[in-house]
Amino acid sequence: VSFLIPECGILPEMLKSTIADVGEYYLVRNLLLHELVTHEFIDTFVKKGSCYALTYNTKIDQDNTAALLPTGKLILSVDKDTYEELGLQGRPSQYSGKKVMRHIITIDLTDSSFHPDSKKHKRVLWALKEKKPLEFDFLLAWSNTGAEGSTLMSYFPKNQIQALKPKITFSTLRDLQCPVLQSNELQGKPEESCSTEELFEWLGAVFSQVSLDNKSSSFLSTYCCPQPNTIVEQAFLCTITGFIIPEKIIQLLEKLCCYFDEPKLAHWLTLTVHGFADSPVSWRESEHGFHKGGENLYNFVVFRNLDYWLQMAVGTNDACPP
Amino acid sequence: VGAALPVDVLTYEEKTLSAILRVTSSGLVKLWSALTLLGFYQNRRCAFRVLQTSPFLLALSGNSRELVL
Repeated sequence: VSFLIPECGILPEMLKSTIADVGEYYLVRNLLLHELVTHEFIDTFVKKGSCYALTYNTKIDQDNTAALLPTGKLILSVDKDTYEELGLQGRPSQYSGKKVMRHIITIDLTDSSFHPDSKKHKRVLWALKEKKPLEFDFLLAWSNTGAEGSTLMSYFPKNQIQALKPKITFSTLRDLQCPVLQSNELQGKPEESCSTEELFEWLGAVFSQVSLDNKSSSFLSTYCCPQPNTIVEQAFLCTITGFIIPEKIIQLLEKLCCYFDEPKLAHWLTLTVHGFADSPVSWRESEHGFHKGGENLYNFVVFRNLDYWLQMAVGTNDACPP
Repeated sequence: VGAALPVDVLTYEEKTLSAILRVTSSGLVKLWSALTLLGFYQNRRCAFRVLQTSPFLLALSGNSRELVL
């Protein structure tokens, strides 16, 4: 998650508490998948708040991957052999091609037909525990709805779970060329403002530290900042890396909108969120794949008058975002 | 001139010996193959490894596969 604020040199006061409170996430090593399907786990975490889980260090196009969505659905993306050994019902991956090599199994943990004595639950537990035990390293996060109870740290044995804080980096960019934008001109107006695509690419250039002022005759690179642009003396860039839950991102977005409560030099600021390249789902529950790249990201451009642009980008093996 | 393809070297970092290249979509396969097959430069052995590709420059700044915990 990154945000960029032009005409700003240091982290604004009002954002300090949100950044400090960005929360922890957990890495649980060698976690057997059936433990996420036990009713103890479901009742303690899945039903009481939003629980997020994603397998760590698994590649969506090569390995088996699992994810737990806050809606209580457990998504498994498994290769052909695992699917056949597991024996659970799923559907072929949308991005399979003629020979189906990958299947997606969705298990709704909060479904009423999934109670402890149901056949469904027994079958799932049997498949994951005895038929084909699957074990992964999981990234976990939980946002509880205020109810008192055990935390993830106390639920798992100490040697298995590790609490991690997202890595936060700040930098101040000097003399940055920023495109001029007008919130109601999405395509840009010649000589007046830049288009949304130009901004999207410019933002990528800034994050990758691409030089913005190449001449068109330059030998190395012909990329230059879109016109019209202004040079801002300083811009503040902050990047938070980790397993960050949407609740925190919403808080950050709200605080960023409050940035314009007081008069500021900046006309706009941006908030960019990257999804995991190896996640089995991108938006809502649409399947996500990795063709040549696993990008799934969105970018908010918030203007002074609180108009905003929302740009969403996905890779080749993805459905269009909603 | 017929076989040439305009490629931009957007960044180059000496420390990590990594660079970001920009090419038109129709030229991606050609460029990727050329990089893969390039084994020598000025009589020195070399190899190129493609770490990430995307039609969006912004996607290159967040690569979850690089996340090491």
